[in-house]
Amino acid sequence: MPDIPSSIDALVERLARNMAQRVSRRSFIGGVGALLFGTAGMPLLPVARGESTTPAGPNTATNPGDPQTCEYWRHCAIDGFLCGCCGGSGHSCPPGTEHSAVTWVGTCHNPGDGRDYIVSYNDCCGKSGCGRCLCSRHEDDKPLYVPFRSNDYNWCPGSKVGIAYHCTVARIVGVAK
Amino acid sequence: MNRTQRAWRRAALALLACICGERGWAQLPAEPPAVEQLPSRPTPHWVWVNDTSFFAYPDGRAFLVDGDSGKMLGMLSTGFSFNGVLVPKAGGVIYSPEIYFSRGTRGTRTDVVTIYDATRLEPVGGIEIPPKRASILPMAAAQVLTDDERFLLIYNFTPAQSVTVVDTRSRKFVGEIETAGCALVYPTGPRSFFSICGDGALLVTTLTDAGTLASHVRTAAFIDVLKDPVTEKGVRWRDTWLFASFEGVLHPLRATGASVKAEPTWPLFTSQELAQHWRTGGLNHLAMHGGSGRLFAIVHQGGPETREELGEEVWVYDVASRKRAQTIAMRNKVGSIQVSQDSHPLLFACAMENNRLDIYDATSGKYLRTVEPLGQTPALLVTP
Amino acid sequence: MRGAVYAAVFAAACSALAMQPVAQPVVLTPLVQANYMLNCMGCHLADGSGAAGKVPSVRDSLVILSRSSAGRRYLVQVPGASQSPLSDLELAQVLTWMVRNLSAQSVPPDFTDFTAAEVAGYRGSPLVDVRDTRARLLQAAADRVAR
Repeated sequence: MPDIPSSIDALVERLARNMAQRVSRRSFIGGVGALLFGTAGMPLLPVARGESTTPAGPNTATNPGDPQTCEYWRHCAIDGFLCGCCGGSGHSCPPGTEHSAVTWVGTCHNPGDGRDYIVSYNDCCGKSGCGRCLCSRHEDDKPLYVPFRSNDYNWCPGSKVGIAYHCTVARIVGVAK
Repeated sequence: MNRTQRAWRRAALALLACICGERGWAQLPAEPPAVEQLPSRPTPHWVWVNDTSFFAYPDGRAFLVDGDSGKMLGMLSTGFSFNGVLVPKAGGVIYSPEIYFSRGTRGTRTDVVTIYDATRLEPVGGIEIPPKRASILPMAAAQVLTDDERFLLIYNFTPAQSVTVVDTRSRKFVGEIETAGCALVYPTGPRSFFSICGDGALLVTTLTDAGTLASHVRTAAFIDVLKDPVTEKGVRWRDTWLFASFEGVLHPLRATGASVKAEPTWPLFTSQELAQHWRTGGLNHLAMHGGSGRLFAIVHQGGPETREELGEEVWVYDVASRKRAQTIAMRNKVGSIQVSQDSHPLLFACAMENNRLDIYDATSGKYLRTVEPLGQTPALLVTP
Repeated sequence: MRGAVYAAVFAAACSALAMQPVAQPVVLTPLVQANYMLNCMGCHLADGSGAAGKVPSVRDSLVILSRSSAGRRYLVQVPGASQSPLSDLELAQVLTWMVRNLSAQSVPPDFTDFTAAEVAGYRGSPLVDVRDTRARLLQAAADRVAR
């Protein structure tokens, strides 16, 4: 490689010889492969917010906390069973339930990135209550007479399957601030 | 044995036979199958503990408890997403708006007002209504009787908002009155009620004598919905509805028939108490004792986001003088209260989070007894 | 071997650079759209289709109703709009956005955006009998077309 300074070339030559003595070829390639493909437990790259359609993984710097806990930042105004404990996730319904489209939409502050996210609290419907991870929080929600801000409604009535309430998700739909 | 001894022996044997024959070693009599019936009139210390069965939504229940003895007297099985029963003062029957699915949690939905005989606790009738009854955390304003108890009014949410009217005399569904943008039902007379609208105004509905819509009038806003809304759990004293705001401001609404007027507000908490973050909390957090004019409120200390959390104290206010009169310590944290309306009232307290009913003397505040286990998620207490 | 080491060093450098907390551009939801999400989308849904029998679809009715003053008044006075916490200007912008973005058919060239003044003029009287008014207006519009 004629355009690389000879000092670097010499350094690399020394490194190569050292490694050839200490590291088997197979394990070396395996290690490099892990670095290249990020499978060696590296933190995920920051997701382009508002653009990506891949849900952000939990317990990361930008999405801190456990979605199976009431304290998770996205649950700031959730009221019901957390679908993450019921076979669903923070944004998806458990198998065999209907993700009820009609619901109320609020905002929660994400301490991981300092943003206020718009969160849609959809109910999963069609089965009796999941019965696990009951969480009732009321950040900036309103009474029943302001329905689009109220979490004291069972929001399954807007579903096709009926009012059987199973659990609630907290789905990001936008970024307010 | 001489004659005296024989006489004594005969007497002793006779006595023994008498005792053994009736109570001694004779068997217990057989019992025919029997079903209890309640007395024809409730005592004022009875309470209906309405259990919405949040963990088993299809299986709502209403438990009847005698507050004096602490005994469960019976119960009703009341279907899906159950709110509460209505007990007309006239007695004889109990009304229960109920929801059923043909396959338990799915299938065809049927909404029905079941009529139960008040002494036998058996269904004696049912009035089918539009399958639209609001499915919500239980509260009194979701189902009410007009002041003359002729019409039963039920709040619907699909999410379109309306009120179902049922004629209890003919036992027929009368109609559905649209109340777009406004929620719940607060009676103001024999043919009138108001609902609270999303902008803080009131919608006053008057009915014809037959229970159909006569008029709709919107008032001006009586609250700032964004800054400090009132909870839906208003209570009534004579012709005034009392609503507590999130920050503890008491909003009286004087209402007779179609006329509803906001009266001057007053604070439930002093500025020092507010600085200590006292606020009302729980679910059905207010109760009113009509005879003495005392307002009972569950309170706790916490930030605004704790407004539905349970409290360990009930503060009692004299409404006429707008002053706090008493503090009642709760043995357990509670979220719903109710008081009986007699002159020696009981204070009933429960929480959806626990399956028990606590009973206190409402005048002295003395703890009396607990009924437990009782239900699964008891939410709304109704006294006759 | 040397080539492999060069490759490894190159890969490590790239990974190290990529793992720096680079400030990714934040894409805020446009305010008008955020206002629709927070005040309307819960019932009317992201595409305005609603829920049959419960929440009317606005995908066909928005264009129709926005053509007449009575229809425009209805769009402002329907409680979801008139009672919303939006200012007159914000509501005008949301209604305009809805007509232009949720309509199934193309918006006619003579459609005029809602203005704050227009909204303020209508907003003081929220509608109560929404169902009948909507049906009447749509019927009247259909009659006009038929003629």
